Order: sequence, then structure tokens, then C-alpha cells
Amino acid sequence: MSVTFSLNGKPVTFDGPDDVPLLWAVREHFSLTGSKFGCGIGMCGACTMHLDGAAVRTCVMAVGHVRGRAVTTIEGLPTDETNPVHQAWNELDVPQCGYCQSGMIMATTSLLARNPNPTDQDIDQTITNLCRCATYIRIRAAIHAAARRA
Amino acid sequence: MSHHASPVLLGRRRFLEVAAAFGAVLAVPLDAAIARRGEVADSELTDWVFIDQAGTVTLGLCQPEVGQGSYTVLPSILAEELDADWPAIAVRWVMGRDAYKIQFRNEKPSQKEGASTSTTKLYARLRTAGAAARIMLVSVAAARWGVAAGQCETRDGWVHNRATGEKLAYGTLAPDAAKLPVPSDPPLKERSAFRLIGKSLPRRDTAAKTNGSAIFGLDVTLPGMLNAAIRIAPAIGGWLVDVRNEAEVLKQPGVRHILKLDDAVIAVADRYWQAQRAVDLLDVVFSPGENGHLSTALIDNLAEAGLEAEIGVPALSQGDALRIIGQHPDRVIESRFSVPHLAHAAMEPMNATVHVQKDRVDVWGSIQSTDATVTAVAKICGLHEDQIHLHVGFLGGSFGGKIVPSFVAQAAKAAKALGRPVKLIRTREMDIQHDHFRPNNKGRLRAVLDADGYPLAIHARVCGQSLFATTRPYWLTRTPLGDYDESMVDGLYQQTYAIPNLHVDVIQTPLPIPVYFMRSVGSSAGVLFWESFITDLAHHAGIDQYAYRRHLLRDYPAGLRVLDAAARAAGWDRPAGPDIARGIAFNTYFGRGGSFVSECAEVVELKRVGDRWKVARVVCAMDAGLVVNHNTFNAQIQGGIGFALTSALKSEITFRDGAAEQSNFTDYPLLSIAEMPEIVPVIVESDRPPQGAGEIMVAPLAPALSQALLHATGRRPDRMPFRAEWFQAHA
Ligand code: FES
Ligand code: FES
Repeated sequence: MSVTFSLNGKPVTFDGPDDVPLLWAVREHFSLTGSKFGCGIGMCGACTMHLDGAAVRTCVMAVGHVRGRAVTTIEGLPTDETNPVHQAWNELDVPQCGYCQSGMIMATTSLLARNPNPTDQDIDQTITNLCRCATYIRIRAAIHAAARRA
Repeated sequence: MSHHASPVLLGRRRFLEVAAAFGAVLAVPLDAAIARRGEVADSELTDWVFIDQAGTVTLGLCQPEVGQGSYTVLPSILAEELDADWPAIAVRWVMGRDAYKIQFRNEKPSQKEGASTSTTKLYARLRTAGAAARIMLVSVAAARWGVAAGQCETRDGWVHNRATGEKLAYGTLAPDAAKLPVPSDPPLKERSAFRLIGKSLPRRDTAAKTNGSAIFGLDVTLPGMLNAAIRIAPAIGGWLVDVRNEAEVLKQPGVRHILKLDDAVIAVADRYWQAQRAVDLLDVVFSPGENGHLSTALIDNLAEAGLEAEIGVPALSQGDALRIIGQHPDRVIESRFSVPHLAHAAMEPMNATVHVQKDRVDVWGSIQSTDATVTAVAKICGLHEDQIHLHVGFLGGSFGGKIVPSFVAQAAKAAKALGRPVKLIRTREMDIQHDHFRPNNKGRLRAVLDADGYPLAIHARVCGQSLFATTRPYWLTRTPLGDYDESMVDGLYQQTYAIPNLHVDVIQTPLPIPVYFMRSVGSSAGVLFWESFITDLAHHAGIDQYAYRRHLLRDYPAGLRVLDAAARAAGWDRPAGPDIARGIAFNTYFGRGGSFVSECAEVVELKRVGDRWKVARVVCAMDAGLVVNHNTFNAQIQGGIGFALTSALKSEITFRDGAAEQSNFTDYPLLSIAEMPEIVPVIVESDRPPQGAGEIMVAPLAPALSQALLHATGRRPDRMPFRAEWFQAHA
């Protein structure tokens, strides 16, 4: 039982059952803890990563599902000027407790890749991640700011 | 590498190396244990200011960063008076000294975050500490130059000699300065001289929270660490009877141990996913204990019976309200309200990592209350409190929920049994179902109006589970008619409205449900009751809601100023338009034990979208004294209103067979980005020092919303949460 996939551009092999949630495989076996556990049932988005570039909720995704595919976590995104999402997030000081923010940034990055200029309605429909600190106003502003920068 | 360099600035790889070097993986590198053993090669000027030879100024932080901005705001107060170089400072977690403790009412001073007190209570203390350290540094510099201290000035971590233009860095002065006595009453800066306080500094933790490197309790990893998952008896007070397939589950890969507690079973494994799987596999028999009959219907019936009781324990009696109301049965206006138990549901589920050794215990985790945790762990491990070392990093929210260290106690028991570090993570289900809930409450308000339509007499009766009776009986107020819990009548018993005859009384209905404080706790019920009732009275009298409140506030200019500011910003004097409905509410928030007074007024605007009314905009005017940091203050207003709106629209914990029925975001949903209104913050500045801020905006939201619904639909909801049917728009 093992699953080989690409994690932030590097090949890795997970030694364990196929049905372990990708979130825990990444957090515990590859020591990348930027992706968080919030609900375990695909509701909150704290665990969001990219699978072949698209946002997925990894607490409900079996690691076997990503065999041979490319997984990107928050740690795999560039944090320099080439990443308008980070720039916008930092400029607007979006996080409060910060716990949901990795997931928010992953969801936003994936949204902007498909829709470089999202309307408020697009945001409402796509960014369904939850933030208990309710940083939503700054998140929305940061998504628009990132779209302008890109 | 010095022990206190900020890993936040180091980049992730370097950080992990540094952290591993002293066994703590924390974003706030704050090992108080090391500091106490005197291994840190820096000079301690005061309890709060540490400067090393290289010139790094490290400031102590005693309040955990739960999202409110303490990691930025509190050090900035120290840095202001110290004239430190703000971008270059480091921050270190400190604990264990009296200087870090806060007194809550008649309690023994303790170190914890809560009740909007971080900035309020520490403002003067931190300024004094920073100013004292600055004077010590100046004295040394003046002596070296042979000039009077008055010849020197300080800026960005340097002492300058005005006459010669020479300068000396704090780092070179610190070793001598640390030998001087700490001046006890140093002069403080005038407000006009502030360079950090009152500005809008960016948060210090943003970069770490956007690149994934911020370390929360969940992320703590120690060498040799095991992982634990837990299943707790569903019913309150229930207990563990039997685990039927222990041997079989122990054979699962990675599973090390099944630990049976009185009321829970814990599986310990190499990996968390293995532990969680083991817990899910366990065939466990729980007894519901003595509370198996507990249900929401029962809780409601109890509270309703209390509302009908002849006499309650009076919390306030001014004038002759009961007699006036009794004499005019035909003129009495009555309304009733109800709020449920609530769960905190912080985004990071409760978790803790504990390492028990012979002579010390180390604890990491999402911990909001330092001292309570130390006490609980010491007891479990049979050690002295000063052998318990807490490592507090970032918390993924708390809202009061992580003050009670029951989850730390569970981790400590597992760690003690295993003799290795153990991290215990509660699932979302365990986090919500086994929270310490915000108590329920019901209110019945009665009034007789005067000839002009204003209240002549009001009787407010509140009934529900008492927070203080359950958690802090020594906070109950004693009266000849019995004890009462003032938090049950927050927003009612301390009035800034002019009401000639007002009687407020309380009836507690004891329940076995674990309850605790939650962002604005009592006022989130009391202000709903009070301000919704004022809405009814104004409506009955046919008087504009804003004008009605202005009249009631006529003797209280501080409140009037804030009410006016909200109304002005909302354009209350202009007609709302056909698809807009507005509501206004006001509250004076009295900090517990008279610790502060803040004013808040809100205008909620509903907008008709198709056949629904949607919360579109909230204007929030606040006077919370001096605003130390406008950036974080603004974020608190936005977040607090989002929090209040979640409670108003969605949150309810109900009970059945002795257990909470909700357990995840499916049945305990949170507000989404699509539901977040526009927010217009209006800061009404005053000359007062900082007052409580983080909870103040919560309470007025629900009554302003219910009033807007009354204007929109002709009906006013009386029970939280306001379910979807109230928002139906009629053609
Ligand atoms: S933890 Fe995966 S969606 Fe909530
Ligand atoms: S910032 Fe705290 S949950 Fe989003």
C-alpha cells in the first residue's frame, strides 16, 4: 500500500492505506501543517489544497485519489511579488486568528486562475469557506485587489 | 542563534531548525521556562522589556493572540513609551509573574485573556513599564556622556545626546541599565507625542498567517510525540460503562493504547488519523447518567415557569414600577423573548499537546487561560504549579471557549499514561457537543407608558441558567431575597436610559449543562430583550425609533453622542426607500466589576432581494475610549458584527436525552461570505483611556435587526435565532 504523487512540485510517496484523508497524510507524513482541520466533513474549507490546480477539500479526499497527480498546499504557493493573492492579503491585513486563511488563499488562487476578474456574485458562489472571525469584508476586498494586481 | 529571535521573521525552514533546537515549535517563540532558568543572555529591564547585546529589543506578551490582535497591540504600547524601533522588535510569551496577572472582580489575580480586558487593564501597566525602561537606558547614557538626563532624547532604539549629536544604541546600554532600580512612577508621553498608539499599525502576524508558517496548537510537533483522539459520553454527566472491542482495536496499525476515563475513551496512536480511526472503531457503551431526561422542552418549560413566578430576586428597583404596573392592568404592554444555549465553535478545534516528565510538564495548545490550565495540569500530574510550563502560540479563535481547560486535562491524562508527548485533538463534533455553552435565557418585559408614550414604569424579568452560579458562585450578588447573577441582566440592571420606575429581577433555573462566557455573554441576551422591548414601546407610541431613544438618553450625553453618530452615518433622517428597512439599537456596555464603560449604537439596514429581506449594511458607532490601533479595532468591529449576525441568524444548541444535538457546521452553521453585510464603522473618539472593545459591538446587532424586520414585514421575531421565515418579503 503506497501512493506516489507530486507535493508542491516534488514527488512523494505515502506509505499507508489509500483511504487516509489527504489532509492528514500531508500534515502528518510530510510535515506541512499550513492546511488546517476545521470540520472533517468538507464544510469549512480550512483544509483546502489544489489538485492539478483546482481547489479541493482534503479532509474528505482519500490520498489514493491523488495518485500520480499534483497536489499544492499553501506552502507551495510563491509568497513574493509574483503572487498577487499574498500581496493583497498582506496589504489588507486580512487575517484575525488566521486559522481559516490558508484555505481562503487556496480557494481564491484557484478562483482567480479560472476567473481573473470575479464579480461579488462570483465570490459569493465560489468562496464558501468559513471564517468564524468573520474576516469576510477584507477577504472580498483582497480578492478584488488581487484581481486588479494580476 | 539567540533564544528569542522571532521565527516569524526567519522563514519556515530556518524556523523549524531553531524551534527544534529548543524543543518548541511555536510561532511566538516564547519559552518562559527558559527565561525563568536564566539561560537567556539578555538584560531584563522590567518584567516586560528584554534587550540583548546585539540590540534586539524583546517585549513580553502575556495575553494570547486569539485573533484580536494582542500580538501587535500590546507590544506597541510598550514600544511607544520605550521609543523602541518598532519594525525591529521581537515578542516573547511571558508568564508566571504577578506583573502578568489581571484581577477579575474579587478573584485572585490570574493570567488569562477575557472580558475585553487585555488592552483596558494593561494599557497603563505597559506604558509605565516601557517608560521606566526608557528612563533606565537614558540614565546610563547620560552617565557615560557625563550630561544631565534632560540632555538626552530617545528615538527608534537609540539614546541621542542633544548637545553633541552622539548616540548610543539600547543594546549597548542595557546591561548597565538592568542593574538600576526600576523607577516606579515614570512620566508618560502626552497623546500628541504618540507615534504608534492611536495609529493604524499593520499586524505583526499577518505574513505568518498567509504563508502557512504560523503555528497553532494543532500544528505542534515534538520528537517522539503520539497522537490522541477522544470520544466523550454524549450525555452531560454521562459515564463510560464498557469498551467491548478494545483488544481488537489495539491490533490496528499504529494504535498504542486505549485509555478509559470516567466519562470518555481516548485512543492513542502514532498518527492522528490512526487514533481517530481507532476511536471510530471502538464499540463503546456509555451511560447517560443522571441527566438522560434533559431536553430543550424541559429547559424551556423551566424558564417559562420562572417568568411566571410571583417574585424574582431584584437586581434593580428604582421608583415604584411593580405597583404602577399592578395598578394599570389595562395599560400594560408585554413582550417575551428567548435565547438558546450557544457553542463557541472557534475554527480551530480544541487541542493540546502535553509532555509529562518526572519533574516537569510542558503544555502546548490552543489555550486562552494560562493560570487555570497550570492548576488543572498540576493536579492531574501531582506536581507543583511552578513545574508546569506552558507554551502558548497562536489560537485559531476562542471567543471564551478555550478558557476552560477540560481538553488540556484530557490530553494530560493521556500523556501521563503514555510517558511520551501526546497531542490530543477534538474533532469538530467533540468540540461543539462538549463545549461549555453560552447559557440560555428568557425575558418577560412589561411596561406602562406615560401620556407622551414614554415608559413610566418597566418590569423586566429574566430567567435562565446562571453562568455565575455554575462557574463562579462567589460572583453572585447577595440580597435578602436570594442571590442573583448580574450577567443574566447585563444591559438591563445598569441603565443609561431615563426610566423613572424600573424593576429588574432574576430567577435562576439550575441546569447541569456546562456553561461559560462567550463574546459579550450576558449582554447578548439582555440587550436583545431590552432594546427589542424599547422597539415595541416606540412602535406602540407611534414615535420614531431614533427619536424615542434620544429622549431616553437625554440625561446621558456620552451615549447620545454615539447614538447620533450612528443615525447620522446611516442617514436616518432621509426616507429609507421602498426596498430598504432600517432598525436602530443602543447599548452602554459596563465592563465586569466596573472595569470600563463603552458606548455602541448600530443601524441595521435590510434590503429586499426578490422575495427575501437580506441584511445589507450595518452602521456601527462606538466610543471605546482611545483607539490604540485603528487597523485591528476596525477588524474587531467587522468580526464582532459577523459573530453577532451568526448568532442572530443561525446558532442554537438544543438538547435531547441529556446531550447537545448539534455537532458540526451542518447543524451549527456559520455565516458565509455571501451573507456578510457591508459595515460602516464610526469611531467616536474620546479623551478616555482605552475601554473594552472586542465584545461591545455584538449586543446591539440582534435588536437592531429585529426592529428592521418589524419595519420590513410588520412582525418582530422574539426568539433567537431569527429563522429564515422572518425574512420572507411579501409582495
Ligand atoms: S476541514 Fe476540510 S472542509 Fe473543513
Ligand atoms: S481568521 Fe479566524 S477563522 Fe478566519
